[in-house]
Amino acid sequence: MSAENRAQETRGQGDKETRRGTPTMSEANGTMNIATRDDVAAWLDGLSRDLTLIAPKAVEDRVLYRPVAGSAEIAFDFGKADLPAKEYFLPSTHVLFSVEKDKEGLRVEEPSLEEGRVLFGLRPCDARALRVLDALFLKEPVDPYYAERRERTTLIGLACREMGEECFCTSLGLAPDDASDVDLMLTEVGGGRQEEGKGYAVQVVTAKGEAILGNLRLREIAGALPEPAVREKTPVLEAEAWSRYFDHAFWARLADRCLSCRLCTYVCPTCRCFDVRDYETPNRGVERLQAWDSCMAENYRRIAGGHDPRPTKAQRLRNRFYCKFCYYPQDFGPIACVGCGRCIARCPVNVDVVEVLQNVATL
Amino acid sequence: MAVNPYRPYLGTLVGVRDLATDIKMFQVALDGPEESAGFTYWPGQFAFVSAFGVGEAPFGLASTLDRGSVLEFAVNRVGTVTSALHRLGEGDVVGVRGPFGNWFPMDEMRDKHIILLGGGIGGAPLRPVIHTVLDHRADYGKLTILWAARLPSLLIFTDEFDDWRAAPNTALHVTVDQGDEAWTGNVGLITELLEKVAPSPENAVTITCGPPIMIKFTLLTLEKLGFARDQMFVTLEAKMKCGIGKCGRCNLGEKFVCTDGPVFSYAEISQFLESF
Repeated sequence: MSAENRAQETRGQGDKETRRGTPTMSEANGTMNIATRDDVAAWLDGLSRDLTLIAPKAVEDRVLYRPVAGSAEIAFDFGKADLPAKEYFLPSTHVLFSVEKDKEGLRVEEPSLEEGRVLFGLRPCDARALRVLDALFLKEPVDPYYAERRERTTLIGLACREMGEECFCTSLGLAPDDASDVDLMLTEVGGGRQEEGKGYAVQVVTAKGEAILGNLRLREIAGALPEPAVREKTPVLEAEAWSRYFDHAFWARLADRCLSCRLCTYVCPTCRCFDVRDYETPNRGVERLQAWDSCMAENYRRIAGGHDPRPTKAQRLRNRFYCKFCYYPQDFGPIACVGCGRCIARCPVNVDVVEVLQNVATL
Repeated sequence: MAVNPYRPYLGTLVGVRDLATDIKMFQVALDGPEESAGFTYWPGQFAFVSAFGVGEAPFGLASTLDRGSVLEFAVNRVGTVTSALHRLGEGDVVGVRGPFGNWFPMDEMRDKHIILLGGGIGGAPLRPVIHTVLDHRADYGKLTILWAARLPSLLIFTDEFDDWRAAPNTALHVTVDQGDEAWTGNVGLITELLEKVAPSPENAVTITCGPPIMIKFTLLTLEKLGFARDQMFVTLEAKMKCGIGKCGRCNLGEKFVCTDGPVFSYAEISQFLESF
């Protein structure tokens, strides 16, 4: 394929989706609403009295989104959490319902879900990933558990100043400071002009975000949001263009080194395959559980009786990439990759999605 | 919470009987009268049946609404859920979630000749088609049923064979891969039987259901007999966890067996990226 064609092919599935957050009035005036870190911390402490506050937290040598008691536990200075925030909307395991047996027979009970939550420090890629999951879980018939968790959570985004080592969000039509998928967006601005340490520019993106702004102390200052540093984009083929490479030997070569370990799936903010299983509780009740699954697993497609339409590792690895870039966009709209690069960082044998995209573009 | 598509209805087993070796017919009456009245479905659709404590699995509905509100499922004991179901008996409570998926084009099949090809337990989702045709006999053309199993002891719905044979404008042809001492019928693959019966493609529709390998070769044979790909329908089986296009298990390329199928024309499956 010629470079010119490739450019056409790669034009935007992702780009179409890109939209910067609604500029606030002040932004249009060349001003920003700034809150100091201390004020943000005090505001979050206030929110945490009524709502569950989930925020980046240092856990051993990792940074993870975790419920925190207050702002003192928050890791404000972090690049990207080691795991996405997916688990707060699609938990790794959760109860769909339980079945209890009593005198009158079997009784099916649905669990009550968490109360209101605020998720602070969501990076634009992880926020976009929720939009990607919305396209599937909020499509009719709606997944009521996902919808409830989503509804009850207000997202406070935190713009990235630069792209991390494995990041390639810009290739998927995002930007490190993309505010379009959160309710409130915070952007770190240089501390020099402020009297008390670092500050954040606060953008209201949705009414839901505005509703939690409360008494956060904001100071209007002149200036524009800092532009994040970005790198060159990797071309991404249009969904329909992938089908012609389906039978290419590339996939078998790539799969030679795949260990089917499924780490890529577990760290992925958009992988959503799930299993459903019954668990007998000690008091002879039954819980039906939904749990994360991975299409990379052996026997994933095997049916009782033995037939397996996807028996080889190459077929399974290909399915993961095709799901993200070819099937999901056709079925649900968005590309199921946000360029967070966690799979690249975690893969023990260096299966690299950017390399795959580059290779496929030249097949 | 809104309507919960993961939550099954409760139903009571009102009948359990042997159909063939390791294959039982389960008759389920949904417990709530509203649920029972609301469970409307068409031939070809499927539902999940739960053995609580073990899990749930999808099964093609083997019954029709025309013949009553009791749901029927033919279950082959091959895995953990089916084994648990086989341990249940009359009066036991199961869960039922559905109906899901698309259905056979019964309306478009009106006035056409219908050729059904069922292999083993794959005959189960064809039974509602047979019942519909027999119950509305004047609406459809000739019904030709080709019924196959590996062994005579694995043939299902043998107790209905006489009814099918006796129905007007209806023919039943049975074959087994391997006979036994009592077997006097055809021996051989369903494709051989099909070539022998050689139904005309003129104004006809075929539906094939069985193991994937049987479906693949049956379609080839039908094509050889002159059937066009949009005259041939299949119903596919896949591992599924949700039935509503979310869990990701049953995709064939960008298609989901649960929501785009399980009924597909040969014209459709020829376009699939992945083989079933």
